[in-house]
Amino acid sequence: MGVGGAPGVYGDAADVAAALMLLLEFGLLRQALIRDQVRLYAAQSALISVLAIVIAADRNLPELYALAGLSAALKVVAVPWVVRRLLLRPRAPGWRAGEEAPGVAGSYTLNVASAVLASIALAAFGFFSFGSFHVSASTAPVTALALAGAMVFVAFGLMIVRRDVASQAIGFFSLENAISLAALVLAAGMPLILETAFLFDLLVAVVVFGMLIRAHHAKAESMSTADLTRLRG
Amino acid sequence: MSAALPIPVIQLLQVLTVALGAPAVTGVIARVEARMQGRRGPRLAQPYYDLAKLLRKEALAPRRASLFFLAAPVIAVAAYLTIPLLIPVLTSYGLPLGYMGDILGGGFLLALASFVAAVAALETGSPYAQLGASRAKTFSAITEPVVLFVTFTVALLTSTDLPYVMAGTIRSSAGSYVRPAHLLASAALFMVILHETGRIPVETHSGTNEFGMIEEARSFEHSGPYLALLKYGSMLKQFILFALLADVFVVPWGLASTQSLPDVVIAVAALLVKACVIGVVVAVIDNSFAKLRLFKITEYVAAAFLLVVVGVITVYGGGA
Repeated sequence: MGVGGAPGVYGDAADVAAALMLLLEFGLLRQALIRDQVRLYAAQSALISVLAIVIAADRNLPELYALAGLSAALKVVAVPWVVRRLLLRPRAPGWRAGEEAPGVAGSYTLNVASAVLASIALAAFGFFSFGSFHVSASTAPVTALALAGAMVFVAFGLMIVRRDVASQAIGFFSLENAISLAALVLAAGMPLILETAFLFDLLVAVVVFGMLIRAHHAKAESMSTADLTRLRG
Repeated sequence: MSAALPIPVIQLLQVLTVALGAPAVTGVIARVEARMQGRRGPRLAQPYYDLAKLLRKEALAPRRASLFFLAAPVIAVAAYLTIPLLIPVLTSYGLPLGYMGDILGGGFLLALASFVAAVAALETGSPYAQLGASRAKTFSAITEPVVLFVTFTVALLTSTDLPYVMAGTIRSSAGSYVRPAHLLASAALFMVILHETGRIPVETHSGTNEFGMIEEARSFEHSGPYLALLKYGSMLKQFILFALLADVFVVPWGLASTQSLPDVVIAVAALLVKACVIGVVVAVIDNSFAKLRLFKITEYVAAAFLLVVVGVITVYGGGA
């Protein structure tokens, strides 16, 4: 499906990377432990960097290599490290040192198989709605764009289905991954400074979410957001 | 060019390769698995000896069982031995009987074999055999959507549902190999094969714990030659599914493209090697994961379904 010069293989490689990112998003949805969720998030972010490298090689955009490196440093190394520090080795009152963070296993509102099936429906909706935009960017693999759309929906689904703050934060971060993916395939030539700004935006979000998670845990002594329901007006 | 083999001989060789090679693949898996667990393991030919031993033994049947109980293993093996006529086992070109049925035809034969085994298990009145049959049918019903979507993928990529055409499409270019639809469908098919051959994470292959048993429990009441046929049937099924995965989806190379004798011999060797490599992968998975709880199998199948659905929808996204 590669449009332009390189016939097929680059475009298909981009599609495969995008499809794998979508599958990792589903992995996030199913995963029961925060530690594993963070790992999956790091893998997903690594795929974004791989995709950036593929696109850079395909279209001769050297600054994308820099972006790939920066994105990897930030999202594969820094963000997971920060999240792990905040969640798994917290020094907040109520958490003893070395104690494992509370699990998020029981936080499904649906059972896992139904959640996956519902998200498949969401993903199909996202896929076809983004696919029907008929974006004819110069060299964009259209499938990858539509997959990014599917990822956005699944990330939202993840935040809805899981009732714990940690999964919701991870869902939000992976939403950012989905948007980066869309940006990469649509506007690969976007100025580097803009992309960098987005990345640091993410870092701010991580810190804010971290604070929120810890504050919530200190108050409610659980990761569950079920207690917040009674705050509804 | 050396002597060309007549087409019917090649066709017969497809069946013979499967019929004679299947126990060997089972032996390789058992050996690799044992080695990975630090045991010496049975010799590679052990499955042949097991079958020979069972064939010499006396056959018993439950008192109320009808003739079907005894006919079922024979029907099952006959169905399994028909499938190699339909799928590319040795040749990359379609043999005359190869177009007798498509992927669905092969699927029907597999389903028929599993159905007669289940009915035979119901005949016995034994609780464990019935439990195995009931579970096998339940779980094959939930894997059916995955198989259907794999077929859809083939249909979308090739506009046919012929395994020969699918293999040809994949051989044709690197682009059609790395296409997400193909990779995802192959992965999903592999997960289904793990399920269908009763491997971890779905079923313990060599356990004696009835609670987790699915297909293994079905043959509890059969004995002697009939048990041998059932066991042989599951070896055949495993080999056929491996051949399908290798020759149609993952590595459709090394097949004979002519009728010459060396080509066909190479194809036989290549198929055995490919099946053994898949078997080694299966053994590694067997040794590195735990069995899923019975009610978690739906999650496993949902994951396979997810893979193949994402694969199918990527076909539509190309704007093509």
